[in-house]
Amino acid sequence: MDFGATLLPILASGLAVGAIYALIGVTYNTMYSTSRVMSFTSGQLGMLGGVLGSLFILRLGMPLIVGFVLTIMACAIVGVVTEFIAVRPVLKSLDQHLYVLSTLALALMIQQFTAIEWSTEPQPFPRLFGLGSGSFDEKFWLPVAACAFTIGALELMQRHTLVGRAFLAVSEDNFAARSLGLPERNLRIASYALAGAIGGLAGFAGGELMLAFFANGGQYNFYGFVPVALGGLGNNRGSIVGGLALGLFQQAANFLVGGVFASVAVFIAFIIVLLAAPQGLFGTSTARRV
Amino acid sequence: MTVETTTSVTGLRNRPFGAARSERWSQLAPYAALAAIAAVLPWIGNEYWAVIGTRAAIYWVLVAGLNLIVGFAGQLAIGYVALLTLGAYTTSVLVAGNVIPAVPLPLAFGAATVIGAVFGLVVGLPALRLRTFYFAMSTLGFATIVTQIALAWKSVTGGGIGIVAPEFPAPFNTPWGFYGFCLIVAAIATWMSANVAHSRFGRALVAIRDAEVAAEANGISKVQFLVPVFLLGGAMAGIAGGLFATLQTYVTPDAFTFDLSVLFFIAILIGGRGSILGPLLGTILLTILPEFAAPLAAWSTFLYAVLLLVIVLAVPGGIADLIDFKNRRPLTDAREIQPQPALLSRVIARQPGSQPLSLRNVVLAFGGVRALDGLDLDVQPGRVHGLIGPNGSGKTTALNVISGYYAPQNGSVALGGATLELGHPESRASHGIARTFQTPRIVGEASVLENVMIGATVTGRATFLETLLALPRRATDERVLKAKATAALTAVGLETLADIRANRLQHSELRFVEIARALMLSPAFLLLDEPAAGLSADEIDRLGSLITEISRQGTGVLLVEHHADLIFAICERVTVLNLGRVLAEGAAAEIRVHKEVVSAYLGA
Amino acid sequence: MTILRRTISRRAFTAGSAGTLALGAPLLSRPALAQAEPLRIGWLAALTGPSSAPAVGFNRGVVYAVEAINAGGGVKGRKIELVTRDTQGDPTKAVNATQEMISAAKVHAIWGPTNSGEALATTPIMARFKMPNLHPCVVNSLIDTAKYPNAFRMAPSNSQWDDAVRGYVLKIVKAKKVAVIGDTTGYGTTAAGDSVTAFKKDGADVVYTAQIDSTQPDMMPDMLRMKNAGAEAIVMWSVSTGMAARMFNARAALNWDVPFVGHPSLGSGEVAGLIEKPANWEKVYVINYRSCSFDAAGKLPTRTQEFLDKSKGKIDLTNTLLWWVASGVDVIEIFAKAVTETGSSNSEDIIKFLNAQTKYPGLFGTYTWNTGEHNGFPTEEIVMGAANSSKDGALKLAPGY
Repeated sequence: MDFGATLLPILASGLAVGAIYALIGVTYNTMYSTSRVMSFTSGQLGMLGGVLGSLFILRLGMPLIVGFVLTIMACAIVGVVTEFIAVRPVLKSLDQHLYVLSTLALALMIQQFTAIEWSTEPQPFPRLFGLGSGSFDEKFWLPVAACAFTIGALELMQRHTLVGRAFLAVSEDNFAARSLGLPERNLRIASYALAGAIGGLAGFAGGELMLAFFANGGQYNFYGFVPVALGGLGNNRGSIVGGLALGLFQQAANFLVGGVFASVAVFIAFIIVLLAAPQGLFGTSTARRV
Repeated sequence: MTVETTTSVTGLRNRPFGAARSERWSQLAPYAALAAIAAVLPWIGNEYWAVIGTRAAIYWVLVAGLNLIVGFAGQLAIGYVALLTLGAYTTSVLVAGNVIPAVPLPLAFGAATVIGAVFGLVVGLPALRLRTFYFAMSTLGFATIVTQIALAWKSVTGGGIGIVAPEFPAPFNTPWGFYGFCLIVAAIATWMSANVAHSRFGRALVAIRDAEVAAEANGISKVQFLVPVFLLGGAMAGIAGGLFATLQTYVTPDAFTFDLSVLFFIAILIGGRGSILGPLLGTILLTILPEFAAPLAAWSTFLYAVLLLVIVLAVPGGIADLIDFKNRRPLTDAREIQPQPALLSRVIARQPGSQPLSLRNVVLAFGGVRALDGLDLDVQPGRVHGLIGPNGSGKTTALNVISGYYAPQNGSVALGGATLELGHPESRASHGIARTFQTPRIVGEASVLENVMIGATVTGRATFLETLLALPRRATDERVLKAKATAALTAVGLETLADIRANRLQHSELRFVEIARALMLSPAFLLLDEPAAGLSADEIDRLGSLITEISRQGTGVLLVEHHADLIFAICERVTVLNLGRVLAEGAAAEIRVHKEVVSAYLGA
Repeated sequence: MTILRRTISRRAFTAGSAGTLALGAPLLSRPALAQAEPLRIGWLAALTGPSSAPAVGFNRGVVYAVEAINAGGGVKGRKIELVTRDTQGDPTKAVNATQEMISAAKVHAIWGPTNSGEALATTPIMARFKMPNLHPCVVNSLIDTAKYPNAFRMAPSNSQWDDAVRGYVLKIVKAKKVAVIGDTTGYGTTAAGDSVTAFKKDGADVVYTAQIDSTQPDMMPDMLRMKNAGAEAIVMWSVSTGMAARMFNARAALNWDVPFVGHPSLGSGEVAGLIEKPANWEKVYVINYRSCSFDAAGKLPTRTQEFLDKSKGKIDLTNTLLWWVASGVDVIEIFAKAVTETGSSNSEDIIKFLNAQTKYPGLFGTYTWNTGEHNGFPTEEIVMGAANSSKDGALKLAPGY
């Protein structure tokens, strides 16, 4: 295979979209860690990161840094809103899986609202720094950088801060953490805010590549979930590996066999892996039920 | 005493009969009303109404099947539009004859049914292994790729240009004629789904949804009960797809929008899970609503989503709950559980003297903790065997090993000469091993009687197909199960609550419901996990005599309990566990004065 | 068991009802044409949703024309009443709306739908009720004077578009080696497939063809392969503005000056925001029409210019294409003229009027319909325009005319 002509672009765009998927996977995991809930809003947060970034910086003409901070804050708020509206009310009946429905409803609302009030066509996203060109353009490496930054920050937080350790404790054992006197509810809200920020960052960093497009939400939802399923629920490192692998696989399939077969290939690979290893490739088995 | 009991039983037998009749009428009245409206529509409406009515009928054919999957079995299959797509393309492609020579319409519908069923199973299979959210995602993914394949496979599907849909022959080729045809199909779909819903299959599905663990203990295996429903749901969606194609006159991939999936899904949830009338009304409502709200067309999906959220948060029971007037009537507070152990012989008819249940050298460790450390235990038929010990000593774990929830790393569980498969909870019911749980595991949205009937799911004889078509064995099953469940409820003293929704009962009552459910198996062995917890002193006494009487019928009872009084009042033998090992074992009288036991556990 | 009983009785009931519908329906129909009865025109418009841009443009012309005619006293004293239904491009909604217009609203003629997927489903239904129908959808099979004698196309068909693009590529660009690409939607796959076949039939060398996922973030590999294959022109069939912009950006990154020729969407205003620099939009030629083209002197045809002067301030021409607006105006005026000239709004009379038009001088085109041909738009009026030259929704002619 010709390196410059095919392999390099596949690597560049594969790693870039893979990093976005991985971050959406981390968004899923972060919400899951404190609430045992998988939320359909994860992908929509990524979409909002792109749309809001474009809204603040291009349409409203704000400076880059202000637009970025506002986007991340707005996404964090959407994360908290998710917790408030779609998660907390159904937590007491977790085994009935009502959260699947409540978060699906909220995700649809976010997506439809964006489609109607923003645009059903992809809209431009601002060029952030103007660095690089070709396969080394910033639009390819910004998502990768955001992904690396997020993972680093999360590891640091978990190791060195009290909040981080409290997160870890809650995600290990909810009830034990509560009985230790940890403010479980506040931690949950905080984790949803954090998840919102991570999702927003994913969309913002990927904005130049994916544009400010309402339909990205559904894409991110599915392709961001695949690494979670492959890497094992709650396992951030698994999500990163899974996300990057998915990105490369998808882009390679896209370029080599064409659009239609690419999505079919991804889906079939996803189902086969899941059926063979329902806990994911890096996951651990579930807790006792009786 | 005996005389009194008999009269009360006959009294009981008479009362539900009259009540059942009027109840059945009130249950059927809404369907009759809908049928009447559907029948007069041609006289009061124009062809536009015919199209909308036809559409509602077609959607219902699909939803009626999907309802068993989503509403009853609780499997969140979101992307069901994929199966509608398959059905539509199958009939159109076969009738158009662009792959194989054109086939007649009925044959094409037959093919759509089969293909729908096969892919219904393919879409459903992941549900047997994957968790809820994963399954929901995989159905979503499936919906996407079906459309993609329809686009790509141009030689068959016509790609983006699509394909002409089959036309129906006279008299079904006019809007009203086709409307009539679809109504008939919809009525059959309703009838079939009702046959399944009100059978051991329907109850088992609801048990899988709301009380999966209890379902397994009652011998309900997901594979055995979900597979036929996935086939049925797929088949009905395939037929609906064929009808949909004809209504549309033309099939293109863009007709099968995700919104349609959402509509099917929400219709069920608006209607209420575990109901048929509710989702039927939901389907009609969601088909008609957009026609009245034309200015809101752009917001329709948004509004569907709002509706879904409101329902999940505010009315999880949906329409079915709102129109369930029966369960609004307050229950009397001063209810008493009055078991009638004398009637147990009607429920359990077991010859005493069968073989013992024995555990040998069972070792089970969770991580580094040895929850069971070489446990030996023998439970004799026809006896009450107590299992006591401090918290964490391994009592419930032992129960879970016997009932197959845990597979021990070492050791065996045997019933007489036959070793039981380790770690297969759903296999225990067929061996006649029944159990109750520390926290009662009940289907809250089903009636008390239905909950009890779940206990005898494995004894039903009608196959799924017989049930679907209401062949005679289904009726026999229902009659036998109902009679037995009523007898079991009477024996445990809850017969007056038979028709009440189980989630309205008190905790203590649920314990007796669980016992009644376990009795439905006529079990050889009954495992009771702290049945006296939360009961009043009076109730514990009655529970004691009930358990004693159960053992007299020949059933061996293994009783895990903290109430020492109850243990020593009714157990013949007692095993004391500590740290996963037997601390002492012997006749109740010996254990009561056993030094170590008294000091370690019973307290002086 | 009781359920079974109920089903049987319902079955008998409905079978009866199906038989008697012939008696029931006419009783409900309105009394025949009263003098002041408004002329009702159904308008099946995908006004919202992902493929709404054309209908939004059509709608501006439609509303303008209806208001103008009604302000002038209507059609022979009858006001025009517009029955608009937003189908969102969804064939299911379009079928419902069509039946509503025919059976409940009792319209006299229908304009639309505007997407082929919808039209494929609604055309047979309208044919069943002999409803006069004008639509702008490109799929060839939608026009069939034997099967659908009531349906008339007032825009080019797909093969006319294809001919125009192919003609430009082969005769004016004089490209020998051509790359043909489409997106993965129904339209993209079909149009690209047809285009490849036609190019090959004309003896052109199709060096590259692909179906590209329009959400693919980077178009570089496809672009490189087209370059390596030696393509001298790229023919693109896609309504996706995102995909178009990414293609143009990738071409610029390669410093390649190959011309793009194709679907009008390549010239949509949305593309302007998505390209990295304005120069990336050079050498992109899209399907346009004589009536909506500036000539070398920067002038529009007289008829068009008069209309623009007359309607100035009344129609918003930003973010839309002039030909959409113009054809919206044409449709209303044609229906109005049919009623004026025949004095009747019966469907047979409207269809008869349409079948008798030779070179009807519309704003958008010069339409000709007769009983044997319902493709009314003349191929010679289809031209290519420079994508980045939009002003008032009209484009400059592409070089070579």
